[in-house]
Amino acid sequence: MSSRKLPRLLQAPAVILLLFWMIVPLAMTLFFSFIRYVLNSLNRPEWTSPSFSNWRGFGNYEFVLNSKDFWFAVQNSLFIVGSILFLTVIFGVLIAVLINKTFPGQGIVRVLLISPFFIMPAVNAVLWINMILDPVLGLNGLAIEGINGVIASLHDAPAVGWFFSLWPKFEPISFRATQTAAYAVIMMVTWQWTPFAVLIFMTSLQSEDEQQKEAAILDGAGKWSQFRFLTLPHLARPIAIVVMIQAIFHLSLYAEIEIVSRGNGNKNLPYLIGEFANNNIGAASATGIFAVILANIVAIFLLRAVGKTLME
Amino acid sequence: MGQIVLENVVKKFGDTEVIPPLNLTIEEGEFAVFVGPSGCGKSTLLRLIAGLEDTTAGKVLIDGEDVTEVPPSKRGLAMVFQSYALYPHMTVRKNIAFPMRMAGMSQAEQDEKIEAAAKSLNLTDYLDRKPGQLSGGQRQRVAIGRAIVREPSAFLFDEPLSNLDAALRVGMRLEISEMHKRLKTTMIYVTHDQVEAMTMADRIVVLQGGVIEQVGTPLELYHTPRNKFVAGFIGSPKMNLLEGAEAKKHKAHTIGIRPEHIKVSTKSVKGAWKGTVGVAEHLGSDTFIHIHGVEGCDPMTVRAAGDVAVKHGDTVYLSPDKSQIHKFDDAGLRI
Repeated sequence: MSSRKLPRLLQAPAVILLLFWMIVPLAMTLFFSFIRYVLNSLNRPEWTSPSFSNWRGFGNYEFVLNSKDFWFAVQNSLFIVGSILFLTVIFGVLIAVLINKTFPGQGIVRVLLISPFFIMPAVNAVLWINMILDPVLGLNGLAIEGINGVIASLHDAPAVGWFFSLWPKFEPISFRATQTAAYAVIMMVTWQWTPFAVLIFMTSLQSEDEQQKEAAILDGAGKWSQFRFLTLPHLARPIAIVVMIQAIFHLSLYAEIEIVSRGNGNKNLPYLIGEFANNNIGAASATGIFAVILANIVAIFLLRAVGKTLME
Repeated sequence: MGQIVLENVVKKFGDTEVIPPLNLTIEEGEFAVFVGPSGCGKSTLLRLIAGLEDTTAGKVLIDGEDVTEVPPSKRGLAMVFQSYALYPHMTVRKNIAFPMRMAGMSQAEQDEKIEAAAKSLNLTDYLDRKPGQLSGGQRQRVAIGRAIVREPSAFLFDEPLSNLDAALRVGMRLEISEMHKRLKTTMIYVTHDQVEAMTMADRIVVLQGGVIEQVGTPLELYHTPRNKFVAGFIGSPKMNLLEGAEAKKHKAHTIGIRPEHIKVSTKSVKGAWKGTVGVAEHLGSDTFIHIHGVEGCDPMTVRAAGDVAVKHGDTVYLSPDKSQIHKFDDAGLRI
């Protein structure tokens, strides 16, 4: 046996396993996306089992492209992912820089900062939508009510009362209404994932070269210039990693969307797949293939963009 | 431009006093070398001058102006670090331009200075590379270039050659000396290598435990070391220090004799010290012989010019040059 054959042979089981792991679901999805396949049909019982005789060609794709929610779901997927990435990276960098200094109680602060990341997504969504964002019982409703109460009590105040009596009564924002559901999802996911970004950025900041900073101080760089020209480029790679990992995770958001509005006015591709999969597996599979394509486009686009602006 | 004065400068880290009250004047245009064993406070002293550390007490004056409270960037000094401290994501050109960019200099002026600096440092072909693609010596040159374009009133070097290999170090040493002759700017150079100190310095400041042991030209330190520490630190191989009976003969607590001031002979010489060869290092131009058995100093090192045919176990006779004997009292000070 040649010296190269043995290692290959030993690697083979792992490689073959991983290959199956990836290829089988992908192949099945592709297959289902080209046939008529539904879970329940009284008129056409032959469609309820997958088979080549039910071949539909690109019919499922056409059906998905023409369905009223598809383009909205694509747009919304990108909007949600983009907003979350933008917010988590900004908050992550700011918080990481802030807590990178030594201060009393550092350990506790760091543990507390990381903790949102350990909460289950569904629990996170339930907590946010009911306890914070609910227009009646949540913090949202209570705060608005409180403000309205204060203003109402000032109506009778001497001298300035006329001014406050001109104020309108504030209305709490309902995050279950169609357009705002996406904002609620963005808020809760940002809250949960900012710690992840902080964690990665903080470890990276600790490896920053002190002498470079001192050199920059002597070169006349102020705090902002040091951040802009040393810290930010130093964080370029971790930012790229955070963006990539989060893009993968957030393109498949589901629990939050389900819990906030059951998809009313706020769908993304995975949610659309879920809706199709109630009965029409063919259409769901076709949507899945679209989702794979979208994920790849997003990944390539993000890598290029992040790499270019920051590595420079 | 470029006289630096330290007045009663003290530095404490918490309760530990790293530098007790210290006074030092570095004249304009001088090449001063701070030398001492690691942990002697030489780097701290340099950082105090640069402003990267705050003084606990005392004053730092540059050209007669008190800069103790002035931020580092306003002191008009440029520093070259041991790790080069180049900005890794910027090209060589941008690295050199950085201080000028921070000062808001016009692009045309920047380009002109970069070209000039690159030319004098042989970096013209590397201007568009990143530091990661350069060798250690080239990186150090970029760091020097970044310092030059600021036209500082003094250059501060913090062990700049320690990360280079031996051959490169000799080359860079010459380049920095040449640069000093050309620019005639004050330079302060920190090193633990006494060879660098001897070859480059106009004046050497020997430090130990934050205290200045002696300040002087390289040859002053070589010929008239103020105490045992300086005597042992300056010169290579190290000076032999003898205590006991032999020292008593010279009415001293300790006597010192440099390896190059001892004659070695394989034949019996009257009044000579007798010993056996431990190791003989044959360099061709010189022979360093380490000798055991001489009372009060073991091993004793002798430097003989040329190739001397001695080997391990040989008995040799050593006669010191009487005029070159250094005498020290029981406090270690020169008599």
